[in-house]
Amino acid sequence: MMVDKITIKKGLDIPIAGAAEKRITNALGIKLYAVKPTDFVGLTPHLLVEEGDAVATGGALFCDKNDERIRFTSPVNGQVKAIVRGEKRRLLEVVVEAKDSSPLVLEVPHTADEIKAAMLRSGLWTALRQRPFGVVANPNDHPKAIFVSAFDTAPLAPDYDFVLQGKEDFFKKGLEALAKLSNGEVHVCFHPDQELAKHLSPLTSHLSPHYVKGPHPAGNIGTQIAHIDPINKGEVVWTMNAQDVVVLGELVSTGVYRPEKVIAVAGPLIKNPHYYRIKAGASIAGIVAEQVLNTNYPKMENDNAARENRVISGNILSGTQISNEGFIGAYDDLVSILPEGDYYDFMGWMMPGIKKYSYSRTFLSGFLPKSTFKPMGIQLPRFSSYWKFDTNTHGDERPLVFTGSFERVFPFDIYPTQLIKACIIGDIELMEQLGIYEVEPEDFALCEFIDVSKTEIQRIIREALETLRKEVADV
Amino acid sequence: MFNNLRGFFDKLKPTFSEGGKLAWLGSTFEAFETFAFTPNRVTKQGCHVRDAVDLKRAMITVVIALIPAMLFGMWNIGYQHYIASPETVNCHFFWYCLWFGFLRMLPLLAVSYIVGLTIEFAFAQIRHHQVNEGFLVTGFLIPMIVPVTTPLWQLAIATAFAVIIGKEVFGGTGMNFLNPALVARAFLFFSYPTRMSGDSVWIAADLWGTDAITSATPLAELAAGLQPSASALDMFIGTIPGSTCETSVIAILLGAILLLISGIASWRIMLSVILGGGLMGLLFNAIGANAYMQLPFYYHYLMGGFLFGAVFMATDPVTAAQTNVGKWIYGLLIGIFAVMLRVINPAYPEGMMLSILLMNCFAPLIDHCVVAHNIKRRQKRAIVKSKNSAR
Repeated sequence: MMVDKITIKKGLDIPIAGAAEKRITNALGIKLYAVKPTDFVGLTPHLLVEEGDAVATGGALFCDKNDERIRFTSPVNGQVKAIVRGEKRRLLEVVVEAKDSSPLVLEVPHTADEIKAAMLRSGLWTALRQRPFGVVANPNDHPKAIFVSAFDTAPLAPDYDFVLQGKEDFFKKGLEALAKLSNGEVHVCFHPDQELAKHLSPLTSHLSPHYVKGPHPAGNIGTQIAHIDPINKGEVVWTMNAQDVVVLGELVSTGVYRPEKVIAVAGPLIKNPHYYRIKAGASIAGIVAEQVLNTNYPKMENDNAARENRVISGNILSGTQISNEGFIGAYDDLVSILPEGDYYDFMGWMMPGIKKYSYSRTFLSGFLPKSTFKPMGIQLPRFSSYWKFDTNTHGDERPLVFTGSFERVFPFDIYPTQLIKACIIGDIELMEQLGIYEVEPEDFALCEFIDVSKTEIQRIIREALETLRKEVADV
Repeated sequence: MFNNLRGFFDKLKPTFSEGGKLAWLGSTFEAFETFAFTPNRVTKQGCHVRDAVDLKRAMITVVIALIPAMLFGMWNIGYQHYIASPETVNCHFFWYCLWFGFLRMLPLLAVSYIVGLTIEFAFAQIRHHQVNEGFLVTGFLIPMIVPVTTPLWQLAIATAFAVIIGKEVFGGTGMNFLNPALVARAFLFFSYPTRMSGDSVWIAADLWGTDAITSATPLAELAAGLQPSASALDMFIGTIPGSTCETSVIAILLGAILLLISGIASWRIMLSVILGGGLMGLLFNAIGANAYMQLPFYYHYLMGGFLFGAVFMATDPVTAAQTNVGKWIYGLLIGIFAVMLRVINPAYPEGMMLSILLMNCFAPLIDHCVVAHNIKRRQKRAIVKSKNSAR
């Protein structure tokens, strides 16, 4: 077995406080669940239920208008409680109230076709995503490879060794099922000292493990694809989150579809950041109400405004904002909670800035000892260990002026500045030449974070990819 | 104080916002408001947290890096004046020198900022854009790279030319392809050559006016076929005649350290300019056809604006090459051309300005070639792949 070791040098681990403690609370009893069409890039949903309808676990709520085999299903037995629409009657959420949580039981699938059918039937198929474009995989496609990242380096991300404890066999079974679906390789990426990797051997021939070391975004699937087998124009790869691989593993070994996962609830505002076991799409209202601690966070002097919380499904770099009573996103296994930053900062750009975090060393905080720095074992006063992270942009939007910094946090063989500019001007040919098919918005999250000119780079990349996707579909 | 000021802005805001009486002055109001308060804007999508640095902070960091050179320049203006004038004894008094230089620099700085900012505000207002912070640095740089006796009206015209033709016609900061401060200097150099070079511009004769005490810079002496009269140590410390703030290597290095630690300027560009200059100097040493060519190569770092240009001008992120490989090429060529112009072309004793402006013009081409290489590699990868799968 060939062992592939990859070292990522470019990147950044943002030192935010409030990582989840290794302890799981069972929250399978949550009443409300939602499936959100907005979680799925480019989806035109076709609604299949009405308010009040009874649905079973694995019962379809809506499907893809362009491919009715792709069904989006209820994670529980219950009743459709609400159908939430937004502007122009756009379907936002289908909310289901749980009666009981008996799982869906199918016949144990064996062949590739049976596995595919079982996944489409249960709704698990939607956990398979395609690159480029980040859409749900097309069942007719033959991907050149399937990628699974078994760790996450994003700020406050869950520890998969802990999350997948006791599920290692299902994880392996799931990977083997993916290998049957793919006519190419299944690449699984671990970080170098991950316990989970040991449970995999002996591996079947189509599984190839890789060991990726380095700062965020080393755990991002995009970084891993770029270093293992970059996507060329016209090629398609599929990706699946590790916890969905476990659900698949259970489906193929017992025939039971049990859409459960363990999520981390984390952030600097939270009382006891730790893990919760939930079903997919669960309402986080109860968790937020019990966890959020609004005091004790450094406020600005003279700032009397009550600070709101921002609840994010996903990580703080590329997650989606949801309300305090919202539902966790289909692809997320992290809820991050941050204080809002809607305050004015008097002369903020000229002050020394002891509590401000910057990748550049333009604030005094960059020169103060870090909490990990202990000369002769003495803990220095921890000036810089408690960063004041909130949602303030710390400045207004400006043209792209400081153009040399993206390269330092962008571990791709791509010129980020040039690609962003090509996306802004909408030059499709140039975007293709510069490697647009190899990236997703989340790959640019760190560029956006450190950007001096406060440009919304992820939005620019998403819009460019959507333009391209429509262009490709038309041809 | 904080609340009063905040209340003052909040009260005025509706007047200057859309629909208000003074809405046509919106950009100006916004500029003053964001000067006093970092806005309360929050992230909407994508990254929910942002780095604390913004363009204002980045620009003010460059200004801070320029301050050692500015202070030394002020002192040196006074020092040069007193050693050359009848009141020679005053040159031993630090505060006398600094005060004299401060009074000479103040009008230059004021003219540069007033003219430049007026135009910037006007353009921002016409375009309904926000006022960009770029001029914070440009306005500081322009007085630092001209002779102390430059007439204020000439400086005003040069600044206006640099801001309008060098920057605004291309769309403002971030869109220009020439370093605006160098455009101002080049404008002065070609429009009023007698006030920008020669022997009678470098030392102020008195506190006001444009009269000068005759004295030659080391570069002028070399161009005239002489050896520099100042020692290498004097040139390193900076107690020589020259443009106001470019003489002290020590002060410039202090600024360079801040720029490099803060990550604002590119170390690749600084290093490669210095390497390029050194290489060319060594090459001339090897040829050794005349006295100038035999000059030890490191003298080029000590004289004139070479180091100032390498640290503060060549590294301008807008006008420099933007790819990492491109930065090496860009910097090397700046160093090479600067020394080449100095030694071979006696019409331009100082080659740094022209060399940087020339490479500003070529930076997009360099980047284009570097990026084209990346594109070609990607295409090749796709072709190899499709051939393999065809088999």
